[in-house]
Amino acid sequence: MAEVRLENVKKLYGQKVAIRDVSFTCKEGEFFSILGPTGAGKSTILKMIAGIEPVTSGMIYFNNRPMNAVPPQQRGVSMAFETYNLYPHFTAYENIAFPLRSPRRQEKLTPAEERRRVTEIAEFLGIEKLLEKRPQHLSGGEKQRVSLARALVREADVYLLDEPIAHLDAKLRFSTQALLKEFATNYGSTIVYVTHDYREALALSDTLLILRKGLVEQCGAPEDIYYRPATDFVGRLVGEPPMNLIDGELVSHDGATYFKAGNDFSVRLRDDLVALAEKVAVREGGRRFVRLGIRSEDIAVSRENNGEQSFQLPIYAVVHEVETSVLTFELEKSFLYVRVGGDGKLSDYRLSEPVWLSFNPDRMFFYVKTVEISKG
Amino acid sequence: MSRIDCEHVWKVYAGGTVGVRDLSFTCNNGEFLAILGPSGSGKSSTLRMLAGLEDITQGKILFDGRVVNDLSPAERNVALAFESYALYHRLSVYENIAFPLRARGFKDRDVDKAVRSIAETLDLTSILKKTPSELAGGHQQRVSLARALVRRPNVILLDEPLSHMDQRVRVDLRARIRRIHEDLKNTTIYVTHDQAEATALCDRLLILHGAELQQIGTVDEVWNSPTNKFVAQFVGEPGMNFVPGKIDAPGQVSIQTQDGRVAFEFSGEVAPEYIGREVTIGIRPQQIRLVPTEGHGTIAAMVRLLEFRGESTILTLELPDADRTRVKAVIPAGLKRHQGEKCWLEFPPTAIHLFNEEEKAIIHRRDATGSST
Repeated sequence: MAEVRLENVKKLYGQKVAIRDVSFTCKEGEFFSILGPTGAGKSTILKMIAGIEPVTSGMIYFNNRPMNAVPPQQRGVSMAFETYNLYPHFTAYENIAFPLRSPRRQEKLTPAEERRRVTEIAEFLGIEKLLEKRPQHLSGGEKQRVSLARALVREADVYLLDEPIAHLDAKLRFSTQALLKEFATNYGSTIVYVTHDYREALALSDTLLILRKGLVEQCGAPEDIYYRPATDFVGRLVGEPPMNLIDGELVSHDGATYFKAGNDFSVRLRDDLVALAEKVAVREGGRRFVRLGIRSEDIAVSRENNGEQSFQLPIYAVVHEVETSVLTFELEKSFLYVRVGGDGKLSDYRLSEPVWLSFNPDRMFFYVKTVEISKG
Repeated sequence: MSRIDCEHVWKVYAGGTVGVRDLSFTCNNGEFLAILGPSGSGKSSTLRMLAGLEDITQGKILFDGRVVNDLSPAERNVALAFESYALYHRLSVYENIAFPLRARGFKDRDVDKAVRSIAETLDLTSILKKTPSELAGGHQQRVSLARALVRRPNVILLDEPLSHMDQRVRVDLRARIRRIHEDLKNTTIYVTHDQAEATALCDRLLILHGAELQQIGTVDEVWNSPTNKFVAQFVGEPGMNFVPGKIDAPGQVSIQTQDGRVAFEFSGEVAPEYIGREVTIGIRPQQIRLVPTEGHGTIAAMVRLLEFRGESTILTLELPDADRTRVKAVIPAGLKRHQGEKCWLEFPPTAIHLFNEEEKAIIHRRDATGSST
């Protein structure tokens, strides 16, 4: 097992900047995820750690040893690719066994021992019945699990997993996610994991790095990322429904400060929130523009007015989840989502019914605007 | 708008593969019905037979009481949106959406009004002049959806219409699709493998597995009274937990542990022949309660894994039975638990499900409305 450290790593493809400046430490035995949208540079980072892409500048260390000049096969990494990279003329068994047969391995396995290991990982991932098939006879999800098994079958200092369960259908993705977590927990492996799915990242990681256009947007424990998103981008990326973002301005009168958006929406801010909002407000012509962020579960819904903290909107749509419902409201050309229920009963809210909404002041965030809010 | 009846419908493909086996159901006028199942369960075959794109091997499909088996898709007046977009790549987005209206001889003014209205609802106004090839997959799918929803057909058939969109857009479009349905009350059949999406949108769920109907009912019915283990496991994320047990007496089931039997009370009734028999106990992860101390009807468990989900955490717990059965429990994110921690689980009597060897549900319960399940 190894600690992986990146220091000011930069990557250019010709003139195109893929990684602007990334530094982080993945501790020994840690499950470290990199989450970001397509094109953020996630796979590039993984390939640089593996050594199959050189860094343009900056340093990569394993246990404080510089790796930049070490060829991939000597780095002690095991990688699963999103595109599987299976050998088409080999069976699933032979594909999985391949890393165990590497001539560089010091310890030669007996055929019985090899079979035991391949079978064990195949059973763990639920693909033991596919072992004699060739890749062309496997579905995308099956190929992906073979590829994952091949990466996990041998001991490695670092496992590098690039979207390893993205092509599984929803049910299987969740159960395989739990298996990955179990693998990491049981073996204490160092894993660097790339995904665009925030649910995987939250569920699996000890530490989660949010990557945006080749830069680190936030890095921390999943709870930090979820409860204290550093930017509007992080708030939008993590959580479903996505964090509500409302653009408005701070307006003060009679000793109180309000957050106002459009003509209909105004909510009085507690003093500590005013201070936070002031810090990030953009001042233009004596006005203070600011973006408010709040998660759908931090807004309370009621048929009664709860005072200055609350405001009224008609319900645009009600979408049920099994135990909760998500109410949708139209606000300033965008949607506001509010999660209600949780008592196992479907809510009895009706379409177009005006209801009162109150924002939990402890769960309100103010941001500089860095993402466009568009409908959809 | 139409009522749809499927009567003993079969689809057998060349070579004898059964795509759909003896399927009967009704979709009421104005209803939003989701057909849910894993891949290969027969959902798309069913939809294609409803659309008229696929022959019916045996059985009848009726729209408003009239057999439509031999009618073409156009004659059935159905609107379709498929997972693969099937857009006209040389036409603009506008003309793609307008196509079904023009094909029916609508006047330009009416076409324009309808296209702009649905484009506004689905947030496509800014891309009406583009061609499909200039759009990302998610946007192409949205155009396909707009084309299906632009007119008032007898039936709207949607096959995984949101599958290529990122999750943020999916959340947004679920709200829009539901709103369109509330406003227009079109009879809509929606095929998906995603139980969360089906739950979000539909009035009733129809669940298929292995080409056969498993259950049809409202989300509440399917959630509270799944007819078999497959449905119990498939609907809900995580799905229902299963633990081997034995019915000791009416209203009492027990689990054998290393320290003896732990008994749980369950509400409802089972047929007398099940008393004394081995069964499978089902309990939803969302309905397991963690309690601080041992008590009547509690079972010990060890926390093996934690998966943080934001608003909640999924625990994987190991029970002290012979198989060391693992169950999952969903707890509010505020409750802190740790790996290796011992805790006590309570299964509320109304949350216990029992299944026989054929994996069928065997508890009869009367709900508040008095209907037997």
